Amino acid sequence: MTNLNTVDAAAVAQDAHLESADAVIAKSTIIFRRFMRNKTAVAGLAIFLALTLFSFVGGFFTPWNKETIDPFNIGMPPSGDHFLGTSQAGIDLYAMTVEGTRISILIGLIVGLVSVLIAAVYGCTMAYFGGKVDKVMLFVLEALIMMPALLVVAVATSGGGDTLKKNLPSWLLLIIVLLVFSWMGTARLIRSLSMSLMQRDFVKAAQYMGVPPRRIVWRHLVPNIGSLLVLDVTRGVTGAILAEVAFSFIGIGIKLPDVSLGVLIGGATSQVQTFPWMFWVPLTVMFLLTGSLAMMNDGLRDAFDPSSSSVGRAKKKSGQRTGK
Amino acid sequence: MSNETTIGPADPSGATAERLHIAGLHSPSDAVLSVRDLYVSFNSENGSVHAVRGVDFDLMPGKTLGIVGESGSGKSVTSLAIMGLLPSTAEISGSVRLKGQELLGLSDKAMCAYRGNDIAMVFQDPLSSLTPVYTVGAQITEALTIHNPGMSKPAKEARAVELLAMVGIPSPKNRLKAFPHEFSGGMRQRVMIAIAIANNPRVLIADEPTTALDVTIQAQVLEVLHTAQEETGAAVVMITHDLGVVAGIADDIMVMYAGKPVETGSVDDIYYNPRMPYTMGLLGAVPRVDVAEKSSLVPIDGIPPNLLHTPTGCSFAPRCPLVTDACLAGEPPLLPADGGAAHKAACIRSEELGGDVNVLEIFSAPPVPVSRFDAVPRGERSTVLELKDVRKHFPLTKGALLKRRIGTVKAVDGLSFDIREGECFSIVGESGSGKTTTLLEIMEFHKDQDGEVVIGGISNKQAVDAKAKGAMRREMQMVFQDPTGALDPRFTVYEVLSEPLQNAGMDKQAIRKRIMELMKLVGLQPDHVNRFPNQFSGGQRQRVGIARALAVNPKLVVLDEPVSALDVSVQAGVINLLDKLRAELGLSYLMVAHDLSVVRHISNRVAVMYLGKIVEIGEVDRVFGNPRHPYTRALLSAIPVPDPQFERTRERIILKGDLPSPLDAPKGCNFATRCPVFAALPAAKQEKCLTLEPPLEAVLPSPAVQALEAGPTAALDQQFACFFPDGELDEDMLVVHETADPHGP
Repeated sequence: MTNLNTVDAAAVAQDAHLESADAVIAKSTIIFRRFMRNKTAVAGLAIFLALTLFSFVGGFFTPWNKETIDPFNIGMPPSGDHFLGTSQAGIDLYAMTVEGTRISILIGLIVGLVSVLIAAVYGCTMAYFGGKVDKVMLFVLEALIMMPALLVVAVATSGGGDTLKKNLPSWLLLIIVLLVFSWMGTARLIRSLSMSLMQRDFVKAAQYMGVPPRRIVWRHLVPNIGSLLVLDVTRGVTGAILAEVAFSFIGIGIKLPDVSLGVLIGGATSQVQTFPWMFWVPLTVMFLLTGSLAMMNDGLRDAFDPSSSSVGRAKKKSGQRTGK
Repeated sequence: MSNETTIGPADPSGATAERLHIAGLHSPSDAVLSVRDLYVSFNSENGSVHAVRGVDFDLMPGKTLGIVGESGSGKSVTSLAIMGLLPSTAEISGSVRLKGQELLGLSDKAMCAYRGNDIAMVFQDPLSSLTPVYTVGAQITEALTIHNPGMSKPAKEARAVELLAMVGIPSPKNRLKAFPHEFSGGMRQRVMIAIAIANNPRVLIADEPTTALDVTIQAQVLEVLHTAQEETGAAVVMITHDLGVVAGIADDIMVMYAGKPVETGSVDDIYYNPRMPYTMGLLGAVPRVDVAEKSSLVPIDGIPPNLLHTPTGCSFAPRCPLVTDACLAGEPPLLPADGGAAHKAACIRSEELGGDVNVLEIFSAPPVPVSRFDAVPRGERSTVLELKDVRKHFPLTKGALLKRRIGTVKAVDGLSFDIREGECFSIVGESGSGKTTTLLEIMEFHKDQDGEVVIGGISNKQAVDAKAKGAMRREMQMVFQDPTGALDPRFTVYEVLSEPLQNAGMDKQAIRKRIMELMKLVGLQPDHVNRFPNQFSGGQRQRVGIARALAVNPKLVVLDEPVSALDVSVQAGVINLLDKLRAELGLSYLMVAHDLSVVRHISNRVAVMYLGKIVEIGEVDRVFGNPRHPYTRALLSAIPVPDPQFERTRERIILKGDLPSPLDAPKGCNFATRCPVFAALPAAKQEKCLTLEPPLEAVLPSPAVQALEAGPTAALDQQFACFFPDGELDEDMLVVHETADPHGP
């Protein structure tokens, strides 16, 4: 027999050592800790969660909804009846803001998540196969980047998309159009990142074991760019919310009777002087939404970046310093 | 085992008193650098890491101190602390005095007056320590300008030329205007040394200066460091993990473990009379290139301690085979070992140890495993891998729009060899010699390759469909160089090991069983399967990599530098494991390695490659014991041996220059440009080397043996490609430090 036994004994000792010394911290724990260390990011997360909660349960706190017209209160500033006042048509602004926030967050989340997913699969596939596949896929990507998104959105949501519009609510249509035009930048980033991952030995090891390409992409490439994906989701959400606001503002995004923050802001611009609450309330909500996401993003980057200086701020455990 | 507890309790107070006494005097003699009680700690996610815990040393002018230790032992942190280069988050205490002047606590700006002037540093990675956008000349003159503001421009230039010439860069005047990328790694390290000695420093700190370089280049750079020291009279602190490198050049050695020096003394004391089990283990863990006799290496079990908590007992106790209860009662101080005040060891049992103790016995090294194939003559074993005239040429093109072919890089040029069952075949050579390309060609296994690769009876010329390829993959698996990179960080060990099994179409139950078997086979705890790779040490990760390669029961395992990324003490364990597996499972290995000592230890046969060609091939003891090709001889003489006496007296062939670019490879013998034999040949014979390509020829037994044996004698298992193997060596390329004191006046 050989030294199997001695090695095992050593492994036991090591095991005890590893556990007692809490040397092993799960990566998720480290990321969580680092994120929590960034106070701005935590505040951002809190604001975002509060807004999401507000958009879903806020409707229960008012008897009004976004369609009911209050003929006695037309264009009234905030009062006891209507927390945030009413519009020119006598619709409660609070109800509309709740609804608009929900639509905006929904659009942001769906577009942010799905576009990153598309980008991940597309980018990884390009990187994995390389050669001709890469060239063709890259050409498609470039073509999409060059296409004028604004025009397509305008056509799809107003004139040309009549048949589509009958079947789909305008916010869903906007989501689809935004999706088509939002994943390319990320896909290119992921492609370059995966290409460097392809050089790593574990991908080579899988290839040499004969693992089929599809599985290598799914099991080895996509999870390993996870931190980038998380960062890109938050960025994508912000981008989608801003795009929705911008499109709706110029009148080609969400169409009434659907409301969104963009529609509210766009509709109120001409009346800032007469009905200021109609303009400032949705604008504040939008700033809170995108601002909180930006704050979170900063903290996430800090948490995922292995070279960040976040460790320097780690609390020193007391009583562990040398007696010097 | 006797418990000599009498020394234990009385000790610490005495040691503290002595230390304070020395600290009070501070550089009692003429020490140029004296470090006292140096403590460094860093913040991490897990709390404070005590990286350095009480380093003391005095460095005398003109002497060399070698600091030896594994990664994480605090040797680099010590050097950075001396230089004042640690980040501001590090907490440093103690005292560092340069010629009596305290350096710790000086501001960054104040330190600048010393750095590069009185105290200079050579870093590990020459590729990244020079700024790519400035010429080499500009970077050398920068070092001069900063500390000598009054120096005139021509004077600076003259000094730069002088420096470059000193470190052995040909035509230094022209090379001043060259950019770093025009230099090879070894050349860049020479430039780094030139910059470091520009202002005649009193102390030169070299942090693993040769680790990133090839052995032949390492020999050159060590030689340059030696000349630099002689020219400037500087004291050198040489930090390394390689006991061979310091054996030849250091006067004193400090062995560090877990942030603390555990043994200090003169070179001879440390190598011939170690008094600390860790030092003994380290010395026993390195295979030697000059020893043919096969014995197991000394494995030091376990991993270095976590420096989050200050150890309560001896920091080496958990891994020490001689541990007693007394060892756990307080950290032993550095005490004079065998009477001589210079030799100190931090071990309460140092009295019992010494040069005559058998290390293999203490560390209970496993016996040398014997394979069932060892008894079978090589010719009767079946072939598992055969390469026939494999070539890999890359076209070199120029031009952006119209690509013109301006040459061919012959990465692999007509390689033929075979591997039999149960044997380990190694390929050695400098980087750029085509070792890795050969491996890739074998792993690639494609029909369109130039040359034939036969794996387990399946030829790449016939294997076209996925099924044949799958069969081939089951015959051959690979272990990678970097165990961290080869394991997906998001996979648990179970997932890592199940991947090849799933791929082979095994069901869940069978996979589970096989994984438990594998874990046991490579010496890992079966309940560790749910861990992630980052929860293991480097050696354990490499074991996981080996287990993955063995999962599908291959006949041949390809090892790409399997231990070069591991620490010395861990390396021994992995080499022993590979040896054992080869014997028990009847595996064959194809190994690529640059460490010839490891190759000699583990292989049966070896091929030496140079510029895509095999220059010498054969049984390992023949090739290493009686090298015929001048390149093999040069390679072997460049390997440092952990034996100070031997190192000082051995004759060393220092090759000139670097591996030539494959583009300007000579027409005849590839090696002619650097060959020590060629340089000494008369012109008529040189002509032959330059025009004809030497073929691989078998070594014939000596005439005496032929006379003894009746009838024709079989050729020996050794072939080489050289016309003049017995030629004289060129004197310029031979270096001998025969004097007992290598740093005489």
